[in-house]
Amino acid sequence: MNNLILEVNDVAVAFGGVKAVNGATMSVEVGSVTSVIGPNGAGKTTLFNLISGATKPDSGTILFQGFEIQKLLPHKIAGRGIVRTFQGAKVIKRLSVIDNLMLGAQNNPGDNLINFFNPRARNAFEKQARERAMALLKQVGIERFANDYAGILSGGQRKLLDLARALMAEPVMLLLDEPFAGVNPTLVEKLLEVLHDLRTEHHLTFLLVEHDLETVMNISDRVVVMAEGRVIADGLPNSIYENQAVVDAYLGTRKLKS
Amino acid sequence: MTAILQPGFWVFILTMSGIYGIFTLGLQVQYGVGGILNFGHVGMMALSSYTMAILVIAHGFNFWVAAASGVAVAALGGAFLGLTTLRLRGDYFSIVSIAFSEIVRYVIFNSDGLTGGAQGSLAIMPIGDAYPSYTDTWDTILYWIRDHLTPILGEIADRDMAMGILVWITFGILLFIVSRVERTSWARVLRATREDDDVPSALGKNVFRFRLQAVIIGSIIGGIAGIYWALQVSLLSPDDFLTIVTFYAWMILILSGATKVKGLAIAAIFFGFLYGGTRFFTFWPFSFFDASQRSYMRIMIIGIVLIVLMIRRPQGIFGKREEMVLE
Ligand SMILES: Nc1ncnc2c1ncn2[C@@H]1O[C@H](COP(=O)(O)OP(=O)(O)O)[C@@H](O)[C@H]1O
Ligand SMILES: [Mg+2]
Repeated sequence: MNNLILEVNDVAVAFGGVKAVNGATMSVEVGSVTSVIGPNGAGKTTLFNLISGATKPDSGTILFQGFEIQKLLPHKIAGRGIVRTFQGAKVIKRLSVIDNLMLGAQNNPGDNLINFFNPRARNAFEKQARERAMALLKQVGIERFANDYAGILSGGQRKLLDLARALMAEPVMLLLDEPFAGVNPTLVEKLLEVLHDLRTEHHLTFLLVEHDLETVMNISDRVVVMAEGRVIADGLPNSIYENQAVVDAYLGTRKLKS
Repeated sequence: MTAILQPGFWVFILTMSGIYGIFTLGLQVQYGVGGILNFGHVGMMALSSYTMAILVIAHGFNFWVAAASGVAVAALGGAFLGLTTLRLRGDYFSIVSIAFSEIVRYVIFNSDGLTGGAQGSLAIMPIGDAYPSYTDTWDTILYWIRDHLTPILGEIADRDMAMGILVWITFGILLFIVSRVERTSWARVLRATREDDDVPSALGKNVFRFRLQAVIIGSIIGGIAGIYWALQVSLLSPDDFLTIVTFYAWMILILSGATKVKGLAIAAIFFGFLYGGTRFFTFWPFSFFDASQRSYMRIMIIGIVLIVLMIRRPQGIFGKREEMVLE
């Protein structure tokens, strides 16, 4: 046994003719922050969908804590502790902000219809979960919207909600798809702070997607670079700058260092 | 005109409203909470009522056992429909659900030996000195209630009034239970699935399971309505279960505002009055039309009310507008 929590081995998936992920291999160490970067269309989100089970690979294997998960349904994978946020954030607009968070609570006895006849267990869980949800909303700074429909939140606030909801599920590994994109600098600071706390206090493992290396430079233990569905580089953040393949991949799309 | 003045007419309207209300409650769980568009709901009513009738009339089952079996068969019908189609996209479910209820009706229509076919449940009664009717057990209860009402209400108290009372007690109990169920976290997850599959699945919820359960619960409630329907009409016919019946329930649901149960009783009564009341529109200007034309008019009037409502109050009479307009 090694200290790898996630191992993606030669995974590929195509949509029609588009080979969105084309033989990607990468891994994530327990307790690390690993960032996947790459230009738009590189296959980063698709890789996330493959890991979280929303998309099934045509070939390859994905191991989480040593177990093959590539054939499991998304809710089973979430049940094993991989929880994700969505690019651009997804909220349930017609549920209140707090109810969005409550969705994240795991093993809620109230989710099981049989427990309709066991209100004691349901209510006890609900009360405790609600307190935790409020604490998380405070932590990300949107507690004042707790009882509003999530549909009224701004884009940035939705991202915070998406993150808080994922945390509500008490993940082992958190997948964040472009958590900083389109978020104002003060909010980015806030997010980084939250992530830092989570990491030090809860020993969470993070897998981030960003298209910009700059943003993740300081927080990542490891950076994986993707282009055209493949992993073209993998290493310490600093080493990525020196990688010729990376520089080539980014040429024409964006400058690596501005 | 005179019929409108009879208390019996109003009792009839209220009884039908209650049965339609129960029937619609099943759709409310499926659509109002789960966003599942079921256009074959009447099929569950057909399954439960015919199952009950056949078991009692042709096989001499105890009424209660037969009624419970009827509801169970409706639940199985829902499970079958859900298991086969709920994994597909929502619109496929809607289309297949219509086909499902139509198939149920055709099978009933064409299985003369089992169901009495086009002649209805009358045809399966064994020929003998006494015709057992599936309403016998129920009638003893109704007459018992009537006998206890007569000292209070006098002449007005009758079997039909007792029926109406039982229908509304059942409706009330079911409304209470369902409103409780809709406050559980189960319903919260189901509400989430109405908008999106990805979020609940990513949070560990088996979306398919929740939808399937919603369809089964709705079918059970539809099945209960079917038992009451059978008891109310006394003789079943395949024509009782035309797809239009499902759409009547949809009208009630839209009238009440689909997302909350609290308007359902009033919307059901409102529908009952439109449905039954238009029958007696024999005065000017309706006197220009004959009876069959007036029965079409009923549907037209209901349609006009719905259109006006959709324009003025898209959330229904009791729904929350905010919930309709969020993007
Ligand atoms: N569901 C899908 N159907 C068809 N093509 C898709 C689908 N998802 C992604 N793609 C395509 O796969 C490629 C990779 O997309 P994506 O993983 O979203 O890239 P990234 O997140 O790195 O910007 C793109 O060309 C995209 O258009
Ligand atoms: Mg992406």
